[in-house]
Amino acid sequence: MSIINIDKELCTGCRRCANVCPVGAIKGEQGKVQTIDEHKCVVCGQCVQICSSYASQFDTEITSIDLKLKERGMLEGTKEPLFAAYNMGQVDLLKKYLSDDNKYKIVQCAPAVRVALAEEFGMEFGKLTPGKMASALKKLNFDRVYDTNFAADLTIMEEGSELIKRVTEGKNLPMFTSCCPAWVKFAETEYPEILNHLSSCKSPQQMAGTIFKTYGAEIDNIDPSTILSVAVMPCTCKQFECDREEINSSGYKDVDIVITTRELAYLIKDMGIDFINIDDEEFDKPLGEYSGAGTIFGSTGGVMEAALRTGYELITKKSIPNIDLKFVRGGQGLRTATVEVGDLNLNIAIVSGLKNVIPVIESIKEGKCDFHFIEVMTCPEGCVSGGGQPKLLIEEHRDVAYKKRKESIYDHDSNLKIRKSHENPAIKKLYDEFLKEPLGHKSHHLLHTNYVSRKEI
Amino acid sequence: MNNNLNSFVVADSSKCIGCKACEIACFAVHNKNNNVGCTVGTVETAVIPRLYLVKTPSVTMPIQCRQCEDAPCAKSCSVGAIRQIDNTIVVDQKKCIGCKNCIMACPFGAIDLLPQYDNGKEVVQFNLKEESHNGLEEIVKSTAYKCDLCIDNGEQACIKTCPNNALRLVKPLDEKKYKNKKAAQALMNTTKNYKQL
Ligand code: SF4
Ligand code: SF4
Ligand code: SF4
Ligand code: SF4
Repeated sequence: MSIINIDKELCTGCRRCANVCPVGAIKGEQGKVQTIDEHKCVVCGQCVQICSSYASQFDTEITSIDLKLKERGMLEGTKEPLFAAYNMGQVDLLKKYLSDDNKYKIVQCAPAVRVALAEEFGMEFGKLTPGKMASALKKLNFDRVYDTNFAADLTIMEEGSELIKRVTEGKNLPMFTSCCPAWVKFAETEYPEILNHLSSCKSPQQMAGTIFKTYGAEIDNIDPSTILSVAVMPCTCKQFECDREEINSSGYKDVDIVITTRELAYLIKDMGIDFINIDDEEFDKPLGEYSGAGTIFGSTGGVMEAALRTGYELITKKSIPNIDLKFVRGGQGLRTATVEVGDLNLNIAIVSGLKNVIPVIESIKEGKCDFHFIEVMTCPEGCVSGGGQPKLLIEEHRDVAYKKRKESIYDHDSNLKIRKSHENPAIKKLYDEFLKEPLGHKSHHLLHTNYVSRKEI
Repeated sequence: MNNNLNSFVVADSSKCIGCKACEIACFAVHNKNNNVGCTVGTVETAVIPRLYLVKTPSVTMPIQCRQCEDAPCAKSCSVGAIRQIDNTIVVDQKKCIGCKNCIMACPFGAIDLLPQYDNGKEVVQFNLKEESHNGLEEIVKSTAYKCDLCIDNGEQACIKTCPNNALRLVKPLDEKKYKNKKAAQALMNTTKNYKQL
């Protein structure tokens, strides 16, 4: 079973999915059942978000809903309607592990989850609930509730240093971000010739996984082989990423199970937790401490902004004059700017939506690209609009929901005391005690990776 | 005398792609009392729309109520649960006894009889129970559902949601006047250069 599927019994062949698929992976005639070309598919889950063809409870000619829930890896008794396009869930599997007391269960949550999860309980679009989420995760029997935002800060340390190195050496420019696994899969499948332009940094999810099973195990004094590392993600492709063979530098699989924002909501409901009224709790320390820069990773332009906040200060050794870099925010598919960083004029670009990256790649191949650093996110507004996020019932709400989720991310950032990755005390401590320095020997081994060509010949 | 004919929603089968977005939107706006919010995860009841996508080899389009002037469903209702309010034929679900007369009477199959929900829970029958192995059990109350032109919302959710603009609200009198004008224009065009013999 692939991660993204189309249920033959439910697909009416409207092809709305094919219209949103960024890579043309959905094949079929209008009015007929559609199929997905697994090789091309980048597992972004945008088809899952748009599909409106649902299984009617009163249709006796289709497989029973209970059986469908099972096939989809969902929890027995989940009440929401099932749609033709869906992603294979891990939540049923996770539920079994949660009651296993021989496992040391660590969970991390991506930045975009806390601005959307509450929507599944009827709260308004974009409602920010990190405290409720942490509290619910503790009730679910996780031993440690850590955070991907922490690892986002770590990513900035490594990726920022990598950029500075590449710019100084004039090598492999432009450098692309590598946080979005759908973008990475796309590059590997369609443009393996530019893979040396991707940052070698693992994504925050994978960095977190590795750190939990090494440093995290050390500080909690537990055997890493007993750790179950779980990630809650807005993205359907994060499961694909965690299953990549090379991602095991801790000596174990860095992340064992990924569930989506929607699946976390199923679990909370299943366990009868009153999410709306639950009291806030904090993430565990130190690996749950984060800065505003780590938070904004959830929105398009966020990685760039976070990198500039740190990069500026690392290079110039001066405090950045204005921390809110509004020129990288916004929603167009391609945004560009030139930023003065000391003596350097850094040319940057932000891409959201895969089709917008193609002209950029072509210009690199022609040797005509003068950007230094390019952020790429597959989903239209970045992770806030990811394939694993709450699915909307009415199309007209889409823009509002994405806008509110984004606003919430930036509000969270501006209300945090620490807003730059390199000022996160837990990050400083991690380097002091364990990693030593960005791009050092240990970082290189644990936090960086390489890519493979998936091109069919 | 009032000659304001009831409006109704129709689909253009050449535009409908069969996505069922209209069904989902219709359900969503009618189930606020069942705690249905904006996302799929808030849905805990069966999806009950008031228009039904029909897919046959030759046609794909949703069918819904025509808000008939001499509404056969209303006429057939033995308890007066179906009434006309603001040019719309509406079912009072509190009164409905599930007799199915309306289903039989409606020539378009625009009415369905399905379980009733309140606050996300099935409503149970008052005074009627079912004999089973475990003794007497409660029965879920069914009620009639039909398109009410989103009377409580002021705009038709299905029309607004359709990604292909396949749905429109027909206002019969406007339609008639528009056709009259076109006919007049056409006639004028044909007769303009016509000389009487
Ligand atoms: S999977 Fe859904 S969106 Fe795609 S064609 Fe089928 S019904 Fe339409
Ligand atoms: S998951 Fe993304 S890439 Fe794959 S078929 Fe769906 S829309 Fe296309
Ligand atoms: S007009 Fe309103 S009630 Fe009637 S079918 Fe459309 S959405 Fe449903
Ligand atoms: S929303 Fe429009 S296109 Fe989709 S099924 Fe309804 S009428 Fe057809």
